[in-house]
Amino acid sequence: MRKEARKSTVPLVVLLLSCAAMLSGCTNLPATTLFTYGDHATRILDLLMPVFWMAVGVFVVVQGALVYTVIRFRSKQANAPVPAQIHGNTNIEIMWTIAPAIILLVIAVMTFRTQAANSYQPPEAMKIRAIGHQWWFEFQYDDGTIVTANDLYIPVGQSVQIQLEAADVMHNFWIPKLAGKTYMIPGKTNYLAFKATEAGIFRGFCAEFCGESHGNMHFRVIALDAADFAKWKTNFATTPAAANGTAQVLGLTGDAARGAAIFADAKKQCSSCHIISGTVAKGKIGPNLTYFGNRRTIAAGMLPYSTDNMAKWLQDPTSIKPGNLMGRVIKKGTLKDQEIADLVAYLDGMKFAVNMPAEK
Amino acid sequence: MAIAEHKLTSVSPATASSGSFPWRTWLATVDHKKIGIIYIVSAFVFFMLGGIEAMLMRVQLGAPNNTFLSADVYNQLFTMHATTMIFLMVMPMNVGIGNYVVPLMIGARDMAFPRLNAMSIWLFLGGGLLLYMSFLTGGAPNGGWFAYAPLTQVQYSPTSGMDYWILGLGLTGIASIAGALNFIVTVLNMRAPGMSINRMPLFVWMNLVVSFIIIFAFPTFTVGSIELLFDRQFGGAFFNPAQGGDAMLWQHLFWFFGHPEVYILILPVMGMISEILPVFSRKPIFGYSFVAFSGVGIGFLGFIVWAHHMFGVGMGPMANAFFAAASMVIAIPTGVKIFNWIATMWAGDVRLTTAMLYAIGFISMFIIGGISGITLASPPIDLQQTDSYYVVAHLHYVLFGGSILGLFAGAYYWFPKMTGRMLNERIGKIQFWIMLISFNVTFFPMHIVGTEGMPRRIYTYEAGMGWDLWNFIETVGTFFLAFSILIFIYNVLSSLRNGEVASNDPWDAATLEWTMPSPPPSYNFLHIPIVNSRRPLWDAKYPHAAGDDHHGASSAPSQVRYEYTDEETAGAKDIHMPSLTFSPMILSGGLTIAALGFVYINKDILGLPTRVAALGFILIGIVMVAIAIRGWIVDSRKDSPYLGQHH
Amino acid sequence: MSATSHAHHDEAGQAPLVGSLGVDSRKLGLWAFIGSETLFFTALITTHLIFYARTKAELTASGMLAHLDPKHFLGINLTSVLAAILLASSLTMVLALAASKAKEWQKFRFWLLATIILGSSFVLGQAYEFSHLYAEGLKLAPQFVYEGETVKSLFGVTFFTMTGFHGLHVTLGVIWLIAVYFKVRKFPASPENPMDVELVGLYWHFVDLVWVGIFTLIYLI
Repeated sequence: MRKEARKSTVPLVVLLLSCAAMLSGCTNLPATTLFTYGDHATRILDLLMPVFWMAVGVFVVVQGALVYTVIRFRSKQANAPVPAQIHGNTNIEIMWTIAPAIILLVIAVMTFRTQAANSYQPPEAMKIRAIGHQWWFEFQYDDGTIVTANDLYIPVGQSVQIQLEAADVMHNFWIPKLAGKTYMIPGKTNYLAFKATEAGIFRGFCAEFCGESHGNMHFRVIALDAADFAKWKTNFATTPAAANGTAQVLGLTGDAARGAAIFADAKKQCSSCHIISGTVAKGKIGPNLTYFGNRRTIAAGMLPYSTDNMAKWLQDPTSIKPGNLMGRVIKKGTLKDQEIADLVAYLDGMKFAVNMPAEK
Repeated sequence: MAIAEHKLTSVSPATASSGSFPWRTWLATVDHKKIGIIYIVSAFVFFMLGGIEAMLMRVQLGAPNNTFLSADVYNQLFTMHATTMIFLMVMPMNVGIGNYVVPLMIGARDMAFPRLNAMSIWLFLGGGLLLYMSFLTGGAPNGGWFAYAPLTQVQYSPTSGMDYWILGLGLTGIASIAGALNFIVTVLNMRAPGMSINRMPLFVWMNLVVSFIIIFAFPTFTVGSIELLFDRQFGGAFFNPAQGGDAMLWQHLFWFFGHPEVYILILPVMGMISEILPVFSRKPIFGYSFVAFSGVGIGFLGFIVWAHHMFGVGMGPMANAFFAAASMVIAIPTGVKIFNWIATMWAGDVRLTTAMLYAIGFISMFIIGGISGITLASPPIDLQQTDSYYVVAHLHYVLFGGSILGLFAGAYYWFPKMTGRMLNERIGKIQFWIMLISFNVTFFPMHIVGTEGMPRRIYTYEAGMGWDLWNFIETVGTFFLAFSILIFIYNVLSSLRNGEVASNDPWDAATLEWTMPSPPPSYNFLHIPIVNSRRPLWDAKYPHAAGDDHHGASSAPSQVRYEYTDEETAGAKDIHMPSLTFSPMILSGGLTIAALGFVYINKDILGLPTRVAALGFILIGIVMVAIAIRGWIVDSRKDSPYLGQHH
Repeated sequence: MSATSHAHHDEAGQAPLVGSLGVDSRKLGLWAFIGSETLFFTALITTHLIFYARTKAELTASGMLAHLDPKHFLGINLTSVLAAILLASSLTMVLALAASKAKEWQKFRFWLLATIILGSSFVLGQAYEFSHLYAEGLKLAPQFVYEGETVKSLFGVTFFTMTGFHGLHVTLGVIWLIAVYFKVRKFPASPENPMDVELVGLYWHFVDLVWVGIFTLIYLI
């Protein structure tokens, strides 16, 4: 009885798990490589699919042959006669050397076609410079006149060419839904060209192990319709207006003007690492914080953007991103709660309207 | 067909524990069988350490945003897990089984250089202990087993972890090269009369191929890690782009070694499978030459595919295309082996012993690992899959589903020969099924989360990415996997004490090691056998069923004996075997102590005292090496027939 | 590689050192080791050439190559003498081996001693060259100072690593030569002696050959 129960539960579990596998293959998860919105990733998917089905075919044939052989020729009696001693058959062996060679040749030809398309760098592509830092991404447009971090804005329907570099160690630039990985290597420049085919917000990661907080190094790609993108760029190029306004955080009312003063205060050291255009803050070690209020996330994808999360970061950066440089200056208690509230009000108030697409 | 149970006066390792343990005969041993067992036991200990590291990581990843481990500890664990499993588990386990079995298979009394063999084992242990010491002295290596520059430069990895890594692996590297030289000479030069190259068992073949891979692949790694040590300690900048170095150079040096290393891990196991499948199918291997030469082919091709680990670094489409094509070509000899194995079983009398189950499990899992490797050989697809969990799945299907399942096949197959006791088959089969299923539960979902965009080597991940359930399932699988290892340990311990006593030839096997008592006496063969076929024992047992198995004209009639009279056995005391010597161990100890000194030679940890102590270690190490070399020479004279001290 | 195996010899007393390939085991092992060492030195020399090419390209771009080429450090006279010493030691090694095969031990000792002295002179000469280069401004550091100008280059790092490891090999070779010298003196009647000499000779010629490679690729070209 128990044995029967076991027999019926095993296939059930297997069935459930395969369903779950199928489902997750068919679900548009945040970072899946199976739902693509960029030409680079789509071409890869178009190559992967036939290869996958060929692989399934090979798997079924070879694994089937193995299982069939084991079952069919399983020893049935203890004193079975010695089977015929066959040492080989050259014809058969030549055949099964050639068969996989043919399959591989087909895959190779398809591979080279996709590779040629994906390595092409369209000369008309918009150029964006991306620099990997431990553990955040810097993005520069128009020869460095526009600099932002961790949110990569691109236009839909236009090829972009990302010029990939690294400031410290090696990183790896990956947007699963738009393009495959390309390394960011100190001392070497790589290029990646792709085109987003739909507006949306997409997940990006650093995929190469790059030190303590490698797991905390994400970014977002925000693909905007051409008109929205142009508007974003124009807005970003203008200097942020003088700080004013307030924010409610940590049960306190933060004042933006006070926050701006704290940020500019040399003793607080914010300005020695960060840039905010139009202010005295000209540090180049940390991310450029101009129009910080427009960010989608805090600390390179670690926390969703909110004033509360911003306060959390300012209270103790190390607890959110172990090993980060800011944590060497700002420790628990370095900033008073009121100062944090003021800084939050300042940074959050620095924004302009963007026609934000949906997360895809 | 009576196979006489023959009692020879040899100390069985299994029964030697009665009374006090004979430390001297083990620590000063030069017997390839004892050295093999030390390799196997220490590799197994490292296997458990690496497994514990894996489990800690799986617990951390079992749920999103987990805080069980800190980022830094996680990074140390994955670095040490890979380093351990590759350099301290699979490699030495292969070497250990090879050490024990290869001389027996070719009809030799020992390895060509028994003292060098002893040096290899102690040097390997010294390197392993040095690596693990790092956990107690301020942090284990945390730059990944691939140690990509410039993360491993001292400003990004300021602890001594990477220095321990360089020097620990340096020691095991010397041990590997010395061991490989020993295998090459043993296999080429110590074969029994009539054991021509094309009659060698396939396990011997694969060990020969792997030894050549080792001696040609390790030097670039040695150079790379010496250069890295110079960067970290002596003012170099080989891999530091900020000072004019080149980060890509490290990758080329590393993968020129690193990819052949994959074949170093898998080929000996393929050799084991090629021994086990025919025995339990009661047939010869199908296509001996194809299997042997596909191994040689893999060995050669393994040296021109290294950059398929680097498709994303911007080598350009032409270079990528070349390495992609080479990587696809290497799939062909691998596929050929799988077909030959299936054909070996075809029309056989397939006996599903535990060893055979593991061998079949190996093929089955290796098929999956091989197929998932094809997409990684295609640069465009690789760019989505590399550095994601898909690769973690692929490499574990090859290295766990492949190498480790195959090693368990070898363990169940040769355990009776090594210990004189059979492992319990019933427990073995239960263990096999638990391991096979939990292996798939642990590693199959990694294909899925990788495809769903989960990067590898991340210490945590956010909820809602669709990765949570799969990661939880993987973690659960790990615990069952660990449980199956515990069953194996129980099986070994209880079988050593109460297991069925093994006859000379419990599996009705074909090769020479089964002509000897289990375990074999220290001198192995009373009379060196004369061989005239690929399956000397089988042909002696089944003279009429042998078929066309005589390759090359036989120089002499086969003389394969597995029965000896008592008078003959009494003559064994006249066989001279090399004397016990502590010199190899002292030499290895000296090198290990000197290596420890080099870890701290240029460190500002406690200022001057550290440097003085480090210098002291180096000097002590050099003195020990000098003493050991002198002792080595003196001890080797004892065994020389010409230098007067022979008695 | 001083491991000697006599495990294989039969009680029948067949030739113990020659195995199934008909070659002495130690010789076979040493050849394989030399194969491995070839890759070791290839990697070191390649590293040096890669970085030198880079330095050269950078200096060419700034128009300073003729003036600041780090090769100016390498005194061709001293190293030519060193190369000659090492080549001469190969010759004396050949003569020592021939004498040992002819069992002319007097001659053998003379030629082996000559080899030892030449080998040691090479090591001393290299030590002198290193200290000289250090004094001139080429150091184990990613820049060198030439005629008061600091140049960012890995030339010193790669040069000292490569030649240093070669020097280490020569030193070990000298120690091995000395060991063989004393062994033969203590056991003049041992039939193994010619093989002992042949082995150290093989290693010695290899180390010489590596120097010929380094000298040609780094100093001459």
